[in-house]
Amino acid sequence: MNNPSFIAVAGPSGSGKTTWIQQSFKDQTAPLFYFYPGLDTISVDLMRLGYGFPEVQVIPDQQAQQVLSSLPDGAVVYLELGFHLSLESPLLSALPCHQVAVVPPYLQESEWHEWADEIVLGNDIAMLDAVKQPELWHTPLQGQVFDPPSLEVVLVELTGGAYGKVHRLKGIFEMPDGQALYIDFVAGLEGIEYTELNIPRWLEGRPHRLSGIEVTGYNLEQKLIAQTLLDGSLADDMIASYQQQYKTLNPVEEEIAV
Amino acid sequence: MKLAVMSCIHGNYEALNAVLSDIDRHKTDQIYCLGDLVGYGPHPNAVVEMIRSLDIPTCQGCWDEDIVDGLNACDCSYPSQLAEKRGKQAHEWTDQVIHPEVREYLANLPITLQAENLAFVHGSPNSQHEYLLPSMDGFAALERVLSTGADVLFCGHTHVPYVRDLEGGKLSMRVHQPGQAETQKQSTVSLKRIINAGSVGEPRHGRPNATYVLYDTDSKQVTLREVPYDYQKTCLAIVEQGLPPIFAWRLARGMEFAERADDPNHVCQR
Amino acid sequence: MEQWAILSGIEGNLVAYEALLDDIRRQRDSVAELYVLGDVVGLKGDNRAVVQRLQSPRTGELEPQVCIGWWEEQCFNLYLLGGLPDAPELIAQEGADTAQHLFESVSRESVEWMRSLHFGFHELDCLLIHGSTVGYADELTPDMPAIQLCDRLIRADAKNLFCGRSGLAFECWIEPSDLCSTIVTLEGTQAPKEQGRSPRRVVGVGNVGRILGQATYTLYNPANNHITFKTVKYGKAKGFALQGSQSQHGHESPDIRASR
Ligand SMILES: [Zn+2]
Ligand SMILES: [Zn+2]
Repeated sequence: MNNPSFIAVAGPSGSGKTTWIQQSFKDQTAPLFYFYPGLDTISVDLMRLGYGFPEVQVIPDQQAQQVLSSLPDGAVVYLELGFHLSLESPLLSALPCHQVAVVPPYLQESEWHEWADEIVLGNDIAMLDAVKQPELWHTPLQGQVFDPPSLEVVLVELTGGAYGKVHRLKGIFEMPDGQALYIDFVAGLEGIEYTELNIPRWLEGRPHRLSGIEVTGYNLEQKLIAQTLLDGSLADDMIASYQQQYKTLNPVEEEIAV
Repeated sequence: MKLAVMSCIHGNYEALNAVLSDIDRHKTDQIYCLGDLVGYGPHPNAVVEMIRSLDIPTCQGCWDEDIVDGLNACDCSYPSQLAEKRGKQAHEWTDQVIHPEVREYLANLPITLQAENLAFVHGSPNSQHEYLLPSMDGFAALERVLSTGADVLFCGHTHVPYVRDLEGGKLSMRVHQPGQAETQKQSTVSLKRIINAGSVGEPRHGRPNATYVLYDTDSKQVTLREVPYDYQKTCLAIVEQGLPPIFAWRLARGMEFAERADDPNHVCQR
Repeated sequence: MEQWAILSGIEGNLVAYEALLDDIRRQRDSVAELYVLGDVVGLKGDNRAVVQRLQSPRTGELEPQVCIGWWEEQCFNLYLLGGLPDAPELIAQEGADTAQHLFESVSRESVEWMRSLHFGFHELDCLLIHGSTVGYADELTPDMPAIQLCDRLIRADAKNLFCGRSGLAFECWIEPSDLCSTIVTLEGTQAPKEQGRSPRRVVGVGNVGRILGQATYTLYNPANNHITFKTVKYGKAKGFALQGSQSQHGHESPDIRASR
């Protein structure tokens, strides 16, 4: 019998923990589990995980005890530790984890270095103010479809500091052509990353699937951010007309009956 | 004769003052203004009063027109839904605060001004809302100048200053009509020039400084001026007046509040 | 070789339109597309009948592709579906009585149908439109300054601009060249650019209904880019129609013939 293995991943915000974990998922045949203690189900990472790796089982907080005690043969469990979880948490010490720290390359010494069994060099990010914990603001955006140029303006403003100092921004946004975009910004890294999620286009009204935004930073003007985002989201008739336009320009080739 | 030409003050009194002082230092003979005295900025009345008191010949801008006629700009002249919402917020605020005599003054501004071989418009000779961008097709740009009959066309509205020389353009035309012999014509157009005055109060060249131009009618020399001013004062006034704080944030970065439309040559049918 | 038949300005003249359809049917090179560049209604006959005829072509006939013209815009205004409720252009040009007459000569349903039409068609490298992209009232003629026609072609973003506003049949080639453009910005002087374009063409497609007894339209062959202007003479007398034809490049075809 193969014992389950546990891999705990920690590191500063934006260092590339999620990217590293998703990279590791790619060449695995074992049953995969993902656990981010304390993370809301509306987390953008979880949504992206669900779209990109539907075979990976996400362990919800409330069921952690139960799932962890009845793991299948050879299971691999990835534990991602957010900045709000201490490296000395009892949960960690209870599990036989292989401990991986994803840190910026310039960082030579830190609590992560001491803690880790393995060091992975991640993004070259600026370190957050160690004294003050950053705020985490997130909101689901399910059903909202965005006007692309408006979204671009909001993101430029947000990441440029118009609504507070943003350290990290992640989001999944629905576009009028039915596509969903994954958007990632890390302070100190060049530009904002836009990735098209590899999922079917949603062309029938407001999408019934997960999307949302998550911002980490200081002095965030949360209400204003939400309002500005909504100012750039489309009304029903606009969504309908864009979807119609897309369908007209890209007719689905119908199978010809023989 | 030495001219100063400015455009797009957009209720930014601080910037206007700085530009007027800069003009003073250059000892010009005449100032022209290409409109957009109001909109977005916190001091529309003061700006108009200043322009009036100095008797500066001014043509009507897109914002001046909209404040008088009600929001005329079609949806298509906004690049994004967000920009449109912000434009409407600015419009409503301005509409509420401007004095009746200011509205009256804006209503009576001419669409174009002409002085010898110079023409002055806000956007283009076609419309206050048309953008003459430097990237516009050269012959299309030439058509705009020729339609005024002038050699030099001054415009604003894009909020980024530039000078464009159009030289040596040839046009050949061959006409065939049923029952008539084919005709051919060829013409060469002499040097024409477009001078965009940029923006005093809402620059969008990536810095907060006000821009305008100097033009010497004898030497034909153009100088693009960039004038620093205390933009923080304007930013503060924007917030104090209850205008959206994002206007101040964008002003401080030389980002226009509402960027231009996708199709800059689009002229609304309305 | 398949051609397009392009016409404009039926202006309610059903007899002229029928004569023209007969002529299209007689073409040796078959006609594959039928474009109607606006002004289907007007003051030259029975607007209801023309709209009906266009809406429901007979079996074997081409489906006409119709776009909005100046007269249709006036109907929108009269039926308060347009931007200028009092139809000032119409009243200035034709008087209030005429406006009333036009109002009565079309039904609300036909106006709604007109409302559903396109502003123009982009097909291959052609733009087919009533006026120009500047507006339905923009009247392009060969007497316009070359630079203005050049501008309309640039705006049309097409090699061939077919239009009907002037009612004239003409073909006008414009070739802009040798323009040197230099731009100076706050960042400095950009390298001068030489601008020019290959020749492009504005085509006036003629008018069907305005002159009684004589309808003109245009045949276009996209394969070889040839334009042929056709003039169809028609009379009320039964079984009698006179037809003339002229083709491009000054080769006036002598085949003016009477057909029975
Ligand atoms: Zn302006
Ligand atoms: Zn303007």
